[in-house]
Amino acid sequence: MKTKTYLFPIFLLLLGLSFLLNLSLGSVMIPFGEIVSGLFSGDWSKASWEQIILNYRLPKALVAIFAGIGLSLSGLQMQTFFRNPLAGPFVLGISSGAGLGVAILMLAGSAFGIALSGVNSWAIAFAGVLGAALVLSAVSLVAWKVKDSMTLLIVGLMFGSAVSAVISVLSFFSGAEALKLFTVWSMGSLGALGWSQVGILSVLIALGSIPVLVSVKSYNALLLGEAYAKSMGIRTEKMRWLMIISTGILAGGITAFCGPIAFVGIAVPHLARIVWKSSDHRILFPASALIGAILLLLCDAAGQLPGFASTLPINAVTSLVGAPIVIGLILKRNFSRDF
Amino acid sequence: MTKFLKHIALEGKGLSLGYFHQKARKEILHGLNFQLFKGELTCLLGPNGVGKSTLIKAILGQIKPWQGEIFLGSQAIQNLKTEDLAKQISVVLTDPVFPGNMTVGQLVALGRTPHTAWSGKLSETDREIVEKALSDTKIQYLRDERLSEISDGQRQKAMIARALAQDGQLMILDEPTAHLDLVNRFEIMQVLREIASQKGKAVLVVTHDLDIAVETADRFWLLNCGTPLISGKPEDLIISGEINQLLPGEKFKFSVERGKLEFEIRDSGFEIEGPQELVFWVKKALRKAGLSTFKGTLTIQRSPFSIRLGEAQFDTIEALIHFLEKSE
Repeated sequence: MKTKTYLFPIFLLLLGLSFLLNLSLGSVMIPFGEIVSGLFSGDWSKASWEQIILNYRLPKALVAIFAGIGLSLSGLQMQTFFRNPLAGPFVLGISSGAGLGVAILMLAGSAFGIALSGVNSWAIAFAGVLGAALVLSAVSLVAWKVKDSMTLLIVGLMFGSAVSAVISVLSFFSGAEALKLFTVWSMGSLGALGWSQVGILSVLIALGSIPVLVSVKSYNALLLGEAYAKSMGIRTEKMRWLMIISTGILAGGITAFCGPIAFVGIAVPHLARIVWKSSDHRILFPASALIGAILLLLCDAAGQLPGFASTLPINAVTSLVGAPIVIGLILKRNFSRDF
Repeated sequence: MTKFLKHIALEGKGLSLGYFHQKARKEILHGLNFQLFKGELTCLLGPNGVGKSTLIKAILGQIKPWQGEIFLGSQAIQNLKTEDLAKQISVVLTDPVFPGNMTVGQLVALGRTPHTAWSGKLSETDREIVEKALSDTKIQYLRDERLSEISDGQRQKAMIARALAQDGQLMILDEPTAHLDLVNRFEIMQVLREIASQKGKAVLVVTHDLDIAVETADRFWLLNCGTPLISGKPEDLIISGEINQLLPGEKFKFSVERGKLEFEIRDSGFEIEGPQELVFWVKKALRKAGLSTFKGTLTIQRSPFSIRLGEAQFDTIEALIHFLEKSE
C-alpha cells in the first residue's frame, strides 16, 4: 500500500511559508528575513515592526492556523460520520448554532434589560460551543435516519434559517450597543483576538482534537457504513457522541471567537483526499489539518488589500475560494460515491 | 435421528423474533431452532419478507430475541461485547457503501479492525492474515486497485476477503451474488465453499439463487412463513420434496430430474420422438407458445436439425410454431 507520506514535509514547508507570508503582508510590508530574525533573536530593526508583529499579526496568524485546523477536522469527522460529502460545520448549521449561543449571550441580556458588564471571553467560548453542540445533536438525530445528501443539506439549511430567525428576533429587541457588538462579530475576523484569547482557542483546539486521535480506527471502519462498523466491533453510539463533542468544541469554539467562517470545513477534507489520494483517516486527519491551516493563512493574507489599513472580512474571502471548489466537486461525476 | 459428529459453531434455541410497529407487537419468526456447523457452507433460502434479515440481525446481536437464545460456542450472544462478537462473526452485507479512494488492500486490512490497537496499525501477523485473505479469494492482483475502478464482482470478492481477514469462526453473507453475472456468481460461491471446507469456518449465505445453491451448498436452511426451519442436505431435501415448500401453490415445481425450478409440466398433445435433450427443448418452446391443443407426432432429427410433422418439415422450432399458429 503506497501512501504519499512524502507530501507531509512538503506541506509543512508550505505551512511555514504561508505563515511568513501572512506575517509579512499588511498595511506595512515587513520583509521575511526581518520577521525570522526578529522572532528568533528578538532584535527588530524598527520598534514599530516589533509592535505590529508581536501584538497584532502573530496572534492573528496563530488564530488562522488554529481555525483552519479546527474547522477542517470537524468537517472531515462529519463527512465520514454522515457518509455525506456535503457535510460540514457551516452547511449543517453548526456555525449558526454557535452564532445563536453568542447572540443569546450578547443580545438577550440587553433585550431583557439586564446589563451584562462586559462579556467574558470564556463565556463567549462556552456559549458558542454549547449552541453548536445543541444544533449538531438535533441535526444528527435527523441525519441518522437519512443517508441522502440532499435531505441532510435541506435539514441543515432549515436549522440554519430557524436559528437566524431567532437571532433576528433577539436583535430586534436588543439595544444599539449590544447589536453593534454582535454585528461586528458576525462578519467574522481572525484579528480581533488578544493573546489571552489565543490561549483559550489553543486549549479548545487541543481538547477538541483528543476525540479525533482516540477514534482514528473507528473513523476508518465507519467508511464502510454504520452496519459494517458495528460488525467490526465499533460502538457507533459512543462514536456519535464523541463526534458531536469534538465538532461542537472545534467548530463552536472557533465560530464563537472568529465569527462564522464558511466553506473551510467542507472543502478542505476534499482537497486532502484529492492531494493524498487516500481515505485512510490516519493520513486524512493530519493532511486536512495542514491544508486547512495553509488555506486560512493564505485567505487571510489575500484579504490584506495592499495600501489599505483594513482587511476584507475573512468569511468573504473563504467563500470566494471555497464556493468554486465545492461547486467543482459537485459537478464531478460520482461525487457522492467517490469520497 | 442419527447423531453426526460435527462441531456446532452457532446454535439457536426456541428463538422468537419480531419488532414493534406503532406499539403493535409484530412477531416474524417463532420457535426457531437451528444449528450451524463448522466447515460447512449453509445456504438460507426463503421468500422475501419471511424474516431472513431479521434472523441475521439477531445473530449479529443487533436485535434482541423476544424468546430463546443464540449460542456462539458455549456463550449466549447477548452476553458478548460488541468487540468480542466482532472477533467471532464477520459479515458481507447488501449495503453498497464503497469509499472510492480506498484500495482493495486497505479494504481488506480494515477487516483486522477488531484485532488492532487504537490507531489501527497492522502488526506483522495482521499483514500475513490480510495477504492470506487476498490469496484465498484470488484477488492479489487487485491489491492496489481503487474500489471505484473495479467491477462489481471484484468488489464483492474484496468484501469477502475483508470478512475473511476478520478471522472469526463464522461468516455471514447477505445475498452476496445479487446483481452479479453468472460466472461471478459461480466463482463467489466456489470461493465461499473453499473457505468453509479448507478453513473449517461456518459460512452462512442468504441467497435467492436456487440453482447455484444446489450446486455448491453443503446444507440448506429453508425458511417459510409459519413453518419451522427445515435443515438438511440439499439433495435430501430435493428427493423428499421438502424443497417445494419454498414455492407457493402448484404453479412451479422443483424438477428432480433437471435440478432446477420449472413450471408444472402440462404436456402438449404431441407425441415427440427423437434425441432426449432435443425433445426437452422442443417441448419447452411449445409449452411457452401455449400450443397444447394439437394432436399428432413430431419427429426430431439431429444434425442437421429438423422437425417433421406429417408431410411438413421445419429447420427451426420457430418455423414449426409459426406454422402451427397459422393453421390454428
